[in-house]
Amino acid sequence: MNGIAARLRKTIVGSWFQLLLSLTAVVVLLVGWWLYSAYLRGDWPFTNLPRLDKADYLPYWWDVLKAFGKSFTEPTIGGLFMTQHIAASLKRIALGFALALLTAVPLGLMMGRSKNTEAVGRPIVELFRPIPPLAWVPIFLAVFRLFWGPVLIVFLGIFFPILLNVRLGARSVDPVLLDAAKTLGAKRGAIFTKVVLPYTTPYLMTGVTVGLGIGWMCIVAAEMLGAVGGGVGYYIFTANNGSQYEFMYAGMLMIAILSVLTTGVAELTERWLRRWMGFK
Amino acid sequence: MDGVQVDISIAGLSKVFRKDKRQVVAIDGFDMRVGHGEFVCLLGPSGCGKTTVLRIVAGLDQKTSGSVRVHAADAHGPPGPPELTEVNGAGRDRGMVFQEFALFPWRTVRKNIEFGLEMRNMPEGERVKVSTDLIELVGLKGFEDSHPKELSGGMKQRVAIARALANDPEVLLMDEPFGSLDAQTRNLMQKELLRIWSAKKKTVLFVTHSVEEAVFLADRIVIMTARPGKVREIISVPLDRPRDRTSREFIDIRSKVLTELEEEFDKARARELSPE
Repeated sequence: MNGIAARLRKTIVGSWFQLLLSLTAVVVLLVGWWLYSAYLRGDWPFTNLPRLDKADYLPYWWDVLKAFGKSFTEPTIGGLFMTQHIAASLKRIALGFALALLTAVPLGLMMGRSKNTEAVGRPIVELFRPIPPLAWVPIFLAVFRLFWGPVLIVFLGIFFPILLNVRLGARSVDPVLLDAAKTLGAKRGAIFTKVVLPYTTPYLMTGVTVGLGIGWMCIVAAEMLGAVGGGVGYYIFTANNGSQYEFMYAGMLMIAILSVLTTGVAELTERWLRRWMGFK
Repeated sequence: MDGVQVDISIAGLSKVFRKDKRQVVAIDGFDMRVGHGEFVCLLGPSGCGKTTVLRIVAGLDQKTSGSVRVHAADAHGPPGPPELTEVNGAGRDRGMVFQEFALFPWRTVRKNIEFGLEMRNMPEGERVKVSTDLIELVGLKGFEDSHPKELSGGMKQRVAIARALANDPEVLLMDEPFGSLDAQTRNLMQKELLRIWSAKKKTVLFVTHSVEEAVFLADRIVIMTARPGKVREIISVPLDRPRDRTSREFIDIRSKVLTELEEEFDKARARELSPE
């Protein structure tokens, strides 16, 4: 038990002193938040000051936590439970992620291994890569509608990190491994599936981790402009429209937690995969 | 070699490659024959093209001209034509062992050894039988499920040798396989290789830059000239195995090989120093 606690502590922070520093940072943030909210409201310790109009924009953080809890226990924003919003967003992420995997992995492998495919793909990739996926939101929602529109925005956000990392991995395959495979009778197809693909897996996982983080940013923006069946982004947007700011912040907190959880799972999977596959 | 089946026949081999718009003749008029079951070492100064010769025989590099023919048959496949066939690409009739081990890091010892068998679509049960025998042969029992990163250099090269033998090729090509091992492991691996070689009766073409290694291992030593590489001299080593590195005869042959080589070393060094 002690060992697990120690390892957990090690993965989160270095020493007990550093853990203390981390906790202090959080406490300072919460105290600062409380003081500013109190200042805006003219509450204690600022009882001599007037309440300002913009006070509504920054509720006390414990009210945000209350709204957060309430969203799980009863239907609130959009008449849905928070879990339903989470499910709706997760579904979009999962679909976009699956689409990105299915397209970016083969494309990245081919661009990394074939100079001709690279010549065809490179100008297109370089042209579209710098465009923020959010720039596509209005047109995607108009063309692909409210279901596939957000999914495709997420897809764009995840696609490029995966493509670039897989391409890098495919490029850096140790040539002596290819030579060895050839002398063992491997033909082109087998070299791809049995050498290039496994070699690229750790690179793919890096792309997945980065891509999921971007995916969460995209989903919020996409859902803000329109979503069917809710979603955490929709939740934030609707709460804001209704001036339910404590709920809006609760939605933002939810996004942060979900993003940390999914990228955390991706990172753990990557580490486990590296060990299981015998890399490092 | 009269009357003995020839497994590798190289005639008039040359290799020219381009480097910074200049043509470099790496190999020029290389001739050699290796008999069935023979152990031949290729020895020469660095840059003489000995590895290139080996890679051309393996089908990994393209020759510029000449003829490179091998006895293309593997025991598991259909019986090959009795005559030699021109090398055309890499194939499982010639196993190869690399200095860098070239093991697949994501595969266990057993799975590395079975790679070539998978390429032949051998059913799993048969594969396991073949790999189990080979693991036993190279002395890696108990390490079947280890990954390469868990093995020492000598053990890695045992895996690589077993993997090259899995397809049961007639010819085993070895490119300085013990070059990155420490001296002790290297000596041990040389003995192990001879044991495996006599058990499996393979034809071995072995590239090295160590005179002692060549004299210890080879039936015949092919000494190459400095670039452009061709055969300078072929020296037979008529000593019984196991050979005693400290015996009079061993030392005599070693000095003879060394004398031949040193002239080529000097030539190579002179070329390196001269402004081209």
